[in-house]
Amino acid sequence: MRNAPGTCVREPTAAQLSGCAKEGMGGNVRVFFATDIHGSEVCWRKFLNAAAFYKADLVVLGGDVTGKVMVPIVAHAGYWQAVVRGETIRMETRAELEEVEKQIRNKGSYPAIVTPDELTELSGTEGAVDRRFSAEMIRSLDRWLDMADGKLRGGDIPCVLNGGNDDIWEIDDIIEASPCVSFGEGKALDLDGFSLVSMGWTNPTPWDTFREAPEDELKKKIDAVVGQIPDLERAIFNFHAPPYGTGLDEAPALDANLRPTHGGAVMKAVGSTAVRDAINSYQPMLSVHGHIHESRGIKKMGRTLAINPGSVYGDGVLQGAVLELNPKKGKVTKYLLVNG
Amino acid sequence: MATDAIGGETPTLFLRKATGLVRGWSVRDSMIYAVLATNVVTLGIYEFSFQSFIPKGQLITSILVSGVWVSFLVIAYAGLIVTIPRAGGDYVWQSRILGSGLGFVMAATGWWFILWLWAPIYGNILSVELFQPLWATLGDPSGATWFATKTGIFVVSVITIALAGVLVSLGMAGYARIQKWCFYAGLVGFAVIVILLLINSKANFISSFNTEAHKIFGVSNAYGKTNALAVKNGYVSPAFGFTPIGASMLLIPMMMFYLLWPNWGSTLYGEIRGASDFKRVFAGMFSGLWITVILSVIFLLVVAKTFGNAFYNNANALYWTAFYSGGKVSSPIPIWPYPVMFAGWLVHNTVFQAVLILLMALWFIGWVGTLFLSSTRVIFAAAFDRVLPDRAAEVSEKRKVPFYSLILMLAPAVIVSAVYAYNLTFETYTLDATLVIAVTYLFSAIAVVLLPWVKPDLWRASPASRIKVLGVPLVPLAGVVTIGLLGYNLYEWLTNSAYGVNNHDSLYFMGGMYVLAIVVYVIARIVRSRQGIDLGLINKEIPVE
Repeated sequence: MRNAPGTCVREPTAAQLSGCAKEGMGGNVRVFFATDIHGSEVCWRKFLNAAAFYKADLVVLGGDVTGKVMVPIVAHAGYWQAVVRGETIRMETRAELEEVEKQIRNKGSYPAIVTPDELTELSGTEGAVDRRFSAEMIRSLDRWLDMADGKLRGGDIPCVLNGGNDDIWEIDDIIEASPCVSFGEGKALDLDGFSLVSMGWTNPTPWDTFREAPEDELKKKIDAVVGQIPDLERAIFNFHAPPYGTGLDEAPALDANLRPTHGGAVMKAVGSTAVRDAINSYQPMLSVHGHIHESRGIKKMGRTLAINPGSVYGDGVLQGAVLELNPKKGKVTKYLLVNG
Repeated sequence: MATDAIGGETPTLFLRKATGLVRGWSVRDSMIYAVLATNVVTLGIYEFSFQSFIPKGQLITSILVSGVWVSFLVIAYAGLIVTIPRAGGDYVWQSRILGSGLGFVMAATGWWFILWLWAPIYGNILSVELFQPLWATLGDPSGATWFATKTGIFVVSVITIALAGVLVSLGMAGYARIQKWCFYAGLVGFAVIVILLLINSKANFISSFNTEAHKIFGVSNAYGKTNALAVKNGYVSPAFGFTPIGASMLLIPMMMFYLLWPNWGSTLYGEIRGASDFKRVFAGMFSGLWITVILSVIFLLVVAKTFGNAFYNNANALYWTAFYSGGKVSSPIPIWPYPVMFAGWLVHNTVFQAVLILLMALWFIGWVGTLFLSSTRVIFAAAFDRVLPDRAAEVSEKRKVPFYSLILMLAPAVIVSAVYAYNLTFETYTLDATLVIAVTYLFSAIAVVLLPWVKPDLWRASPASRIKVLGVPLVPLAGVVTIGLLGYNLYEWLTNSAYGVNNHDSLYFMGGMYVLAIVVYVIARIVRSRQGIDLGLINKEIPVE
């Protein structure tokens, strides 16, 4: 186990992975990879159960952990009220409130309980929504990490989390501080013979999100992290952006108003050329991606198996990839895309 | 971080700026695709010509009843789209709700294998709606009739397949732009025909028809002869009207040939935000369906006014009688009685007539490029699910051509086209192409009815669950009505010989597709199992607690 220089993180230890190469699997290691759950609590719970369900030795969440939507629940005297999926819902008991909060969280949104005055202030004060959004995201992530402690047997099951381009910066420190998950960004994690390198940055999008950089900068970031890998034949790239033009990066073409053109029938490659070039030149055994939810797929790029399991977090379905890796051969021996 | 508030002065939702929060595609786009899919010119007018197989049936009645009935299918599909959006349509809905094996078999047969038959059907339609009338108009009637020969139909089918294959290879970007122009220009052509038929009397038409038929085919009094020969061969056209209802209901299984497809874009919808998306998704498909229904009724009304209802039906009946007579019966007009060509004859100008035919061919051009689009998606999805070999989803690095999936689509389509063209009986299986997709729809309709029970959490979270009529959720109710629609049609197709479907060879042909899909799936399960891969895991839900 080797930490990246200058970092102090709880990474999966060699001891944790020492039992992974099970005899029945021919010494293979089974990995479950999912990505882009965007605040969906039902998907997070499924992710935590995935190790047991798929008999995985290691679980990896590839980025875009946080949600995009906040639903205000207005607290009135004796009841709460919210508009969920276009329908006004009145809750008169704490149990009803909790049920609605659960529904909102399961869709990947954040319930925010506010008074009528707070709601007015939220919509009228510059930056107030952003601050509340951040607070809800952080509160939610804290809850999630508490859940993880129990599900991952206090860290016995190695779990790597990473940020994605949509994730606020504040989550990095929270994940770093968790005792049962490892934060992957910018590091080469040594997983009992494999090196997992992670990067949540993407090439620029029309939404100007947090972790975006031009292709030449992405190349520098990739080269920096790949430079830490001792054996590229046993390297796993966990880059949020999919490689450009590989079919793993096809999103509906959009017009200037961000509306899909031509009825959504026209797809466009929107992945990263820096990621594509890195895969082609470094040829890791495996490269896992996310970012483009609708581009679920598998692509062989030379000796590299590149995968984007896609995401349908809004349906409460956890799309992922179950991968079996052979440390001796340095190759992926089995893979299956699943809709858990 | 930038955020948007939704809900006016009292916001009900805050959205932060994040990847993929795109606006849904517009109702207009959705409507255009639904109009092109339920293509009144390419598919509708072609199918109207088979009215004589249910001789007492009234087309307008059957179209209106079909429109109402298919509207429930639109509601059911809108419900599925907003519940499990952007996920691949029937394949994913059925796989998740009813099981992986059934999902694969229904998707493979309904969106892949049966497209092999749609290829020659489209080829035949291109022959009768473009090449035959164009060659005739340009003064080459023997050239026109060549396109109606076995070899002619096969050649045009291969052209159609090549065209659709090239468009799949090039991608949809350029074609999508063409499609819209085809739609608008096609509407202009349609309007020209309606105006022509409105401003001309029946007497004008008879005179023009006889003049042009004599000029092109050397036949005198073609109008009268057509009517007389149809009657002589046992056909009696119903008087223009709306009854009898019973016989008109029997035309519905034919009308499904064009009216069953307003949900074509169901795999293309983006992220769903809330209940308003149900309305938008529904509105696009529903308005597309009813524009087609209205255009159909307008077309039949102006044809009845100017051509004469009896003549229109007689011309169609006589053509098919001659076609299947093996040369014993001949029609004064030796090619398919294309109403567009007849309407053009009202203007005695060859250039105008040719331009009108070309303009109306845009209805075909605007849609044919999507022939193999669904097949590509199913093949790729099946390969990613490890049911097909990985190679099936490979795309060449240099040319970006999905070479192996193209082979899986095009090679069988060419073979089926040859059989279709050279085996007279096979052409009567045209409605097999509708039947097999209807079976796929049937299982999606069953899925939508079962959804609240099989996936209660998913259903409760869906905007579709909020839409109720008298307290009853509308979407599952619409699913029940859709099952009724598809069940009725399947019953009629399989029991009534008028549709050309319920004979042994046709049933073997369709049954063979289901057997092939089942065999592919079973082999995949066995092979993958030997490789240590359990395909049963693909749609198995991870426990939440």
